[in-house]
Amino acid sequence: MSIPKLEFPPFHLPAEAEALRGEVRSFLKETLPKVKTEDRFASWNTFSPEFSRALGKKGWIGITWPKQYGGSERSFLDRYVITEELLGNSAPAGAHWVADRQSGPLLLRFGSEGQRQAILPRITAGECYFSIGMSEPDSGSDLASVRTRAEPVPGGFRVNGTKVWTSGAHRNNYCIALVRTSGQHGDRHKGLSQILVDLKTPGVTIRPIINLAGRHDWNEVTFTDAFIPESCLIGNEGDGWLQVTSELAFERSGPERFMQNFYILRELVRVLGRQPAKRASSILGRLIARLWTLRQMSVAVAGMMQGGKSPAIEAALVKDLGTIYQQDLPEIARAIAESDATTDEDLADFLDVAQYATMMAPSYTVQGGTTQVLRGIVARGLGLR
Amino acid sequence: MDRETRDMLLETADRFFAERCGRAVVTEVEKGVWPADLWKEIEEMGLPLIAVPEDKSGVGGTLADMLAVLRLAGSHAVPVPLAETALANLLIATAGGEPKAGPATLALGNLTLSGGRVSGKVERVPFASVADRFVTVVGNTLAVVAAGNAKIDDKPSHAGEPYGTATFDNVAAEFSGASPVGADRALELAAVMRAMQMAGAADKILATTVEYCKQRVQFGRPISTFQAIQHMLAELASYVAATIASAEAAARDADEGGLVDGGRFSIAAAKSQASDFAQRIAAISHQSMGAMGFTHEHILHHYTRRLWVWRRDFGSETFWGDKIGAACAKAGPEALWASLSASKYAA
Repeated sequence: MSIPKLEFPPFHLPAEAEALRGEVRSFLKETLPKVKTEDRFASWNTFSPEFSRALGKKGWIGITWPKQYGGSERSFLDRYVITEELLGNSAPAGAHWVADRQSGPLLLRFGSEGQRQAILPRITAGECYFSIGMSEPDSGSDLASVRTRAEPVPGGFRVNGTKVWTSGAHRNNYCIALVRTSGQHGDRHKGLSQILVDLKTPGVTIRPIINLAGRHDWNEVTFTDAFIPESCLIGNEGDGWLQVTSELAFERSGPERFMQNFYILRELVRVLGRQPAKRASSILGRLIARLWTLRQMSVAVAGMMQGGKSPAIEAALVKDLGTIYQQDLPEIARAIAESDATTDEDLADFLDVAQYATMMAPSYTVQGGTTQVLRGIVARGLGLR
Repeated sequence: MDRETRDMLLETADRFFAERCGRAVVTEVEKGVWPADLWKEIEEMGLPLIAVPEDKSGVGGTLADMLAVLRLAGSHAVPVPLAETALANLLIATAGGEPKAGPATLALGNLTLSGGRVSGKVERVPFASVADRFVTVVGNTLAVVAAGNAKIDDKPSHAGEPYGTATFDNVAAEFSGASPVGADRALELAAVMRAMQMAGAADKILATTVEYCKQRVQFGRPISTFQAIQHMLAELASYVAATIASAEAAARDADEGGLVDGGRFSIAAAKSQASDFAQRIAAISHQSMGAMGFTHEHILHHYTRRLWVWRRDFGSETFWGDKIGAACAKAGPEALWASLSASKYAA
């Protein structure tokens, strides 16, 4: 058979990473009760500068980065453990999340020395937060169609256009925007660049976009003749597409794709009590088995990446399965909670929590590459297109 | 065995299975024909003794080696009790016995053992009517019963393999010995064995379905070029990937943690996972292959029917889900993440 073999070689996180897990756990146990958050059950989209600064003090943001920029030069697998501990313990990791995961690595890889020195140490201190400026009203999955234009002017660029679904722009410091710096709309991948935008720049206005669950995560960011200095170009002019695609590939298979609503599973265990009936325990166990499997897959992908491979298809499969698991979870949970919760009071509360999770669930299969885009990637990997 | 030796063995076995376990052989077995030559050749290759130590005339491989071969056997629908015999022989050797030639099977269930005599009934014993001997573990004692002492009620599985109900009416065991592998553990080992066979079958189903869709032309082009089909196959790949990844992780944990109690959580999770997704895999592959895949003429059913049978064998997703769910509920909500991240039941 000529199709590529799907393999997820079982991988053990190394002893250093497991030792770090213990440290992170103790830190969270001590710190989390003191941190007030806007979410009852926090996750990677819960904003808490207080928590991010505390984590930064421990040296656990940008942990893989060079020491000269505030990093600890530890392994990618150490970072993996920190990430999953934050999610498994419902830590409010939203303030620094994008900077640590995506923007910092991008600057490290493509940014100028000046950009790195000015920004990376502030990220690792837990003080500098980023938004992603990719999507536009007419550019979602089809990112190459962006219209925001950065016109070269003396000393920099004059930027006009609109970015949407920009998470945290109302409280973050910077946004990395994908813009057209040359050529015409319709040139697709050519002529795109990434620029570093200080969100306080004159001509940049931020308007909330409230989601269906009533949360203000997203924003519309409008550029009206905003002047962005030349020093804020990231990488080479015209390399934006190359950079942005490598940015999207950063950890598509990370634990955030299947542990964003881990609290549902944990709270389900709480409402079912210590001795649930077989029907409830078997359905609970099947959910736990699915999550366990996702973790094995994700750790295997991390192991392959550590070994210098680029398992793009495997990573896409983890996100596809993980996000759909996250959508199934609150729905299955509410059914067994309703039949098997130990008290009516616990049940009523849990059903509210589960309903909230269901309202957030449509975002899982949209953000960071829709299910349909991922399946296109997998289909290509299977040799179908 | 070292990595290189195992890879060589797997390559040889893969070629052998491909040549000798084609559709005709699998179909004959469904008609009740015992493929004696095939079994003889499998024995000549040493596969039923793969995990038996060399000082007991075995090949001296590990549990992991055995499970790797059985995954491969699953991907060829090998229609003889290679898996059951390989595990039975390992258990016999571990309990101080000498494995013998001939097909064996596992009668794991509610049996009693008293004064070297076995009593009770086990349903859905794989290859019951063709096995030379039945291996069971009662408490911490392993017993081997010769076929002549078991009463078999034939009940072929839905995959057409000679399953049956085995009844033991206070019959003498030809061997019994103290078994470091207890009854619960024997079931776990059988479960990880089936999970690996399911991973093999799932892999074959994906390959078969993808190949078919690339060749099948409708509306003037291969149906694999339709986005609707591409997305179905990508979804199929995700379920197959989950099955492979979970089975491989459990096989690794069972091997590294030791035969007596390694990877208990992982095995339960992997068999639950493999059984859970069996239907999704079967459903998408059949939908993709249309009427052709639903016929006896195509090979797809050899694999989808085995998935349906194997998901029930040695504990279904409900059985293993209950084990995990009950243990995690007992440990309470705050222990859940620790259990998951350690792949262990919380103490």
